[in-house]
Amino acid sequence: MKSLSERIVENPKLGWILFIVTVVVVVLVAVFASSIFERKNEAFYTMQMVKPIADDETRNEVWGENFPRQYESYRKTLDTNFASKHGGSVMRDYLETYPDLVVMWAGYSFSKEYNQGRGHAHAIEDIRNILRTGGQNSDPMPATCWTCKSPDVPRVMEKVGIAEFYKGTWKEKGHDIVNPIGCGDCHDNKTMGLKISRPALVEAFERQGKKMEDFSRQEMRSLVCAQCHVEYYFDKKGHDGVPYLTFPWDNGFSAEDMEKYYDDYEFSDWTHKLSRTPMLKAQHPDYELFMTGVHGKRGVSCSDCHMPYKSEGGVKFTDHHVQSPLANVANSCQVCHREETATLLEDVYERQDKIEELRGIAEHNLAAAHLEAKIAWDNGATDAQMKPVQTYIRHAQWRWDWVAAANALGFHSPVEAMRVLGTSIEKAKDARKELALVLVNLGLNYPVELPDISTKEKAQKVIGLDMDYLNKDKEEFLNTTAKEWDKAAKERQGTLIKY
Amino acid sequence: MTEHKTKNFLHYLLPPPNWRFSVIIVLGILVGLVIHIFNISNAVSYLSDEPQTCVNCHVMYPEYATWERGSHGRVTTCNDCHVPQDNVIRKYMFKASDGLRHATMFTFRLEPQVIRIKDAGRNVVQENCIRCHANFLHPIALRSIGAKGIEDDTERVCWDCHRETPHGKVHSLSSSANIIRPDVKTVVPKWISNNK
Repeated sequence: MKSLSERIVENPKLGWILFIVTVVVVVLVAVFASSIFERKNEAFYTMQMVKPIADDETRNEVWGENFPRQYESYRKTLDTNFASKHGGSVMRDYLETYPDLVVMWAGYSFSKEYNQGRGHAHAIEDIRNILRTGGQNSDPMPATCWTCKSPDVPRVMEKVGIAEFYKGTWKEKGHDIVNPIGCGDCHDNKTMGLKISRPALVEAFERQGKKMEDFSRQEMRSLVCAQCHVEYYFDKKGHDGVPYLTFPWDNGFSAEDMEKYYDDYEFSDWTHKLSRTPMLKAQHPDYELFMTGVHGKRGVSCSDCHMPYKSEGGVKFTDHHVQSPLANVANSCQVCHREETATLLEDVYERQDKIEELRGIAEHNLAAAHLEAKIAWDNGATDAQMKPVQTYIRHAQWRWDWVAAANALGFHSPVEAMRVLGTSIEKAKDARKELALVLVNLGLNYPVELPDISTKEKAQKVIGLDMDYLNKDKEEFLNTTAKEWDKAAKERQGTLIKY
Repeated sequence: MTEHKTKNFLHYLLPPPNWRFSVIIVLGILVGLVIHIFNISNAVSYLSDEPQTCVNCHVMYPEYATWERGSHGRVTTCNDCHVPQDNVIRKYMFKASDGLRHATMFTFRLEPQVIRIKDAGRNVVQENCIRCHANFLHPIALRSIGAKGIEDDTERVCWDCHRETPHGKVHSLSSSANIIRPDVKTVVPKWISNNK
């Protein structure tokens, strides 16, 4: 047989045919490559933005021009009409419902006003309105208190620096922080991908050797919430007196782990006015508690229940009306649970009722312990006598608060909530047992007579709060300083809508 | 004997000495392009069970997003339902034939707005529904749903009734306009990550 090259020499046409075939093959392969490339690029443009969003844009309504469905549903967080048995979007006065709390927080501003949180779009309005942030003639809070309230926070932090942001008082930064919790808190302005905008979460994971980039998307759908819905404290010791927002996660996520962290660091949020105990105030360890529950363990994310998928007019999108899943059982619970709505609600309420029952026992004993401790001090008790009492009170109230301050009345993890409440009750009872001994040793009869704290008003009187003054001062603030803030903000950003 | 034949064949193909240089260059271009295609098409990923593979092509974003947010998102991968799971050979045969069709459709831009499952895929999904949910099904009901009689037109499948499982009822490319690409990475702004 002759070789191909010999045949080409004999018949040059064959050479040309081979040449052309090779050209065609190379072109086809190249076209295929460029087609793959093109189609890959298409994917980058599935997120179409009519108006690009500037890096420092914090007005939710401007983001909303590109994403009307998400924005419109976000606006529904303004709704305050849904009431479940224990929660929902209605404003609830917790001090009214649980007057014991007033005594438990004596000397701390939570005793002035404490409500069930309303929707995200109310964040700015509510932090201005709450008595805890003071009035025209007082400015008790550090700037750190703004941290979770607005997408303006990361904007200002980037400009002035993180520690610098936390420095100073709450009022000093009020003019700069006006847009309620919204788009930029969780989303990147270019890709709309999930974004971490608060340093504390990144820092806490960094101390554990974890990087945000390593978390899966499903985990991120909870972690954007965990930027705020967690237990945190203001660490002044480690930051030259600046109240630096820090998560107490270094020992672990449980109530006991955090308690040890605080004890070892000798941290206290305030000294109790009646019992003189160095107290801890739990924020809202929603994420930590949730992770111990069945839903958390099965990999359900916050968004799965609080922001389920929704279809409207033939278009599917994530419902940005962040709310109680009980207001939307069909799209939250019933995606997995095939029971009737009424049955599912009953299951939730049953657990919440039981948790509330134990909470109540803890509260009565804690309030009584503080009141009894005051009587002991008034009758000449010594520091040595009171030290063990105070340790019990500190731990008991921390554990109660770890459950009580979290949203959903324990439903995020009923078993863990019950367990922690159980240890709280034991410690509160231990405190009172020690107190009984102290009181008897001081020559008093036990039980001692305790003041009437059966309503919020009575309890606030017992701890010596001048509510009339506080309310008036707040009103003055809202009519003057708050209005100036709005004016300044409008000048800075061009528009300012009223939520 | 075979060795002899191969030698002959190679000898037949061998270009004349003055052509060899050009032929080597052209072959190099070809091989390079193929490597490039392997790389940009993420070809190796198709051997895995990773759901991320299925969104190598963005037309699958709606399917991916609805699966992720549904009850199956926590417990299954795409392949658990859409690829035969009874033996390895069948599994990869199916992947190969399905994959080739997908690649062709996608390359020539033949994908429809509303992607519907083909018969082969439908049968596999039905098999896999039963594979996991067999414990919940009464044997008589199971037969009526269609473990048997695949050829029968009157035969029914699970999602005739469970219509929204797991991708939901609204289902097309244009209906899922605001899906964030699953490959978009979490962003930690520089002013946070650089703050030490």
